[in-house]
Amino acid sequence: MAANTDRRRINAPSGGTSAPVFAKPVKAPGYLQSLRPNRTRGPNELRKTCKQTNSIRTVLQTGVVPSASGSAYLEVPTTTASSQSSLIPPTSSLKIAASIQGPKPLPRSAPFSPTLVLTTTVKFAPFATRYRRGYIRDSAERDLGVHLEAALRGVIIGERWPKSGLEVVITILEGDEDAWWGDDKAEGGAGSGWGLLNVLAGCITVASAAIMDASIDCVDMVAGGVAAITADGQKVLEPCPAEHQDLVAACAVGYLASRDEITELWLKGEVGADPDELIEGATHAAMGSVSVLREVLLESMGTKTKVANEVSKRKLEDVEMTG
Amino acid sequence: MALPTLALPGTLLGPASKYAPGPGTHIHDSAIYASIAGTVASHPSPNPTTTKLPLLSISRPGDVSSSSSSSSSSSSSSSSSSSSSSSSSSSSANILPEVDAQVLARITRLGARFASAEILVIAPANTTSISADASVCSTPFTAQIRREDIRATEKDKVTVQDSFRVGDLIRAVVISLGDQGGYYLSTAKNELGVVVARGEGGEVLVPVSWKEVRDMRTGRGEARKVAKPF
Repeated sequence: MAANTDRRRINAPSGGTSAPVFAKPVKAPGYLQSLRPNRTRGPNELRKTCKQTNSIRTVLQTGVVPSASGSAYLEVPTTTASSQSSLIPPTSSLKIAASIQGPKPLPRSAPFSPTLVLTTTVKFAPFATRYRRGYIRDSAERDLGVHLEAALRGVIIGERWPKSGLEVVITILEGDEDAWWGDDKAEGGAGSGWGLLNVLAGCITVASAAIMDASIDCVDMVAGGVAAITADGQKVLEPCPAEHQDLVAACAVGYLASRDEITELWLKGEVGADPDELIEGATHAAMGSVSVLREVLLESMGTKTKVANEVSKRKLEDVEMTG
Repeated sequence: MALPTLALPGTLLGPASKYAPGPGTHIHDSAIYASIAGTVASHPSPNPTTTKLPLLSISRPGDVSSSSSSSSSSSSSSSSSSSSSSSSSSSSANILPEVDAQVLARITRLGARFASAEILVIAPANTTSISADASVCSTPFTAQIRREDIRATEKDKVTVQDSFRVGDLIRAVVISLGDQGGYYLSTAKNELGVVVARGEGGEVLVPVSWKEVRDMRTGRGEARKVAKPF
C-alpha cells in the first residue's frame, strides 16, 4: 500500500472529495428577476456619457507601459448602479490594456517584407470574465486578434517601415459578458456572443491610442463602435448585453472619422433587410470614441512637450555649469 | 489657410499645391494630411532646384529642437549642439536604415565572403556625415558587408580578415535593404571604414595609413580598411 503512493508529490486524500455545491441566490420567486439590470440611458446615449450616481467616466490613458514604445489603457465603466440586495455586480465594465512593441527588425527566419508586419495578440486575463479563461489563447481570442489586425492594417502606413515587425499586445482585464449572469444561457457561454463585439470595439480604440502613442504613421485615427437591434426593432448604441434580453443583431466597426471610411466590420445575428442603419449606428458610437481619443492624445502631447522642454532646459543649464 | 500648431493623424494640413509633404505627413486626395500626432512645422524647401514649395513636417512630441524651431521656421541648421543632441536621443525610438544613409556599426562576425555587423547609429540619407542629428537605434539591425564592397579598388585582392576584426566600429553606408537576412553595407569610399579598432589587450589602435593600424605602445601593426579622418 505504502509502496504504491507517490512520495514526491502532494497526494489527494485517499477517500476522495466532492465538489462544493453553492446554493443558488434564489430567496423568493421573482427575487432573481428583480436583480435584472435594465438600460437606463436612451437608445442613442453612449456608455461613457451616461450619468449615473456612482459610475465613473471612460478612462483612456496613454503611456502606461514604460518599456513599450507605445501603450494605452481603456476603461469603460459599468452602466448600472449596483443593487442593494446582492453582492454580484449587475453588469460588467470593460478594462483593456494595450502595448506596442516595435517597429523592430524581423526575426531571422521571417521572409522579406517590404512593409510593416503587423501581429496582434488578444488575450483575456483568466479572471476577465465570470467564467474563467484558460492561459492559452482560445478560438474566440484568436478570432478577435484577426479582426483587430484587419482594423489596424487599413490605417497604418506600412510602406514606411520595410523589414520591420510591429506587435500589438492586448490584455483584457475585464471583458463584457454575453448576457446577464442570472440567465441560463449565460452559463457556459465561452465568450462567443454579443459581449465579444463590445470587446472588439474597445480593443480597436485602445490599440489605436497605443499606436499613436508609439508615433507609427497612420492615415487617420481608427476607433471602434458598436450598435445593436433589439427584438422590437429598436436600434441601441453601445449596448451592454446584460441589460438587453432580446438582442437580435449587433455590429462592431473600426471607423476612420475624418475620412468617413470603415476598416473593419463585424455583423452578427439577424440583421434584417437594412443592415446599413445598423452600421451607421455603429459609426455614430465610434464617433464618441474618436472624441475621447482626440482629447486624450492632445493632452498627452502637451505633457510630452512640456517634459521634453524641461529636460532640454536642464541640459542647457548643465552645459553652462561645466563650461 | 493657417497651419494648425498641433496635429493628430488625419488632420488636414493644406493643399498639396501649396506645400510639399515631409516626415510625418501623407498625401490623400491631393491634400496633405498628418499621419502622426505632434507639432506642425513648415520649413523652406531643402533643395530649391526641384521644388519651391515649403516642406511640411510633423515632429514627435518628445522632440525638443523641432518644438522650439517650429516658431522660427529657418533654425534647422543653426540650432545649438546641446539641444540637437537631446533631440536625437528622444526621437530615436523608431528610425530605420535607408539606402544611402551613413551608419556606425560594430563587426560581429567574419566570414570568407562577407563580414557581419550590427548597425548602432543611423544618420539620415541627405546628410553627408554622422553628426548631431544622427540617432541611436533602439535595437541593433543586423547587416552584412560583402567582400567586394569593402573597398573601391582592387576588389579581387580584398580579404575580409585583413579589413576588419570582430569588435571594430566602422563607418559605412547602406547600399541595399537586402533580403530577409540583413542590410547590405559598403565601405568603398575613403571616408568609410574602421573608425575605432582595438587590439588583443583591448588597447586602442591608431591608424597610420589607409590600410594599417598600429599599437602605439608595442609598435605592432594590424591590417584594417581604415576610414579617412576628417
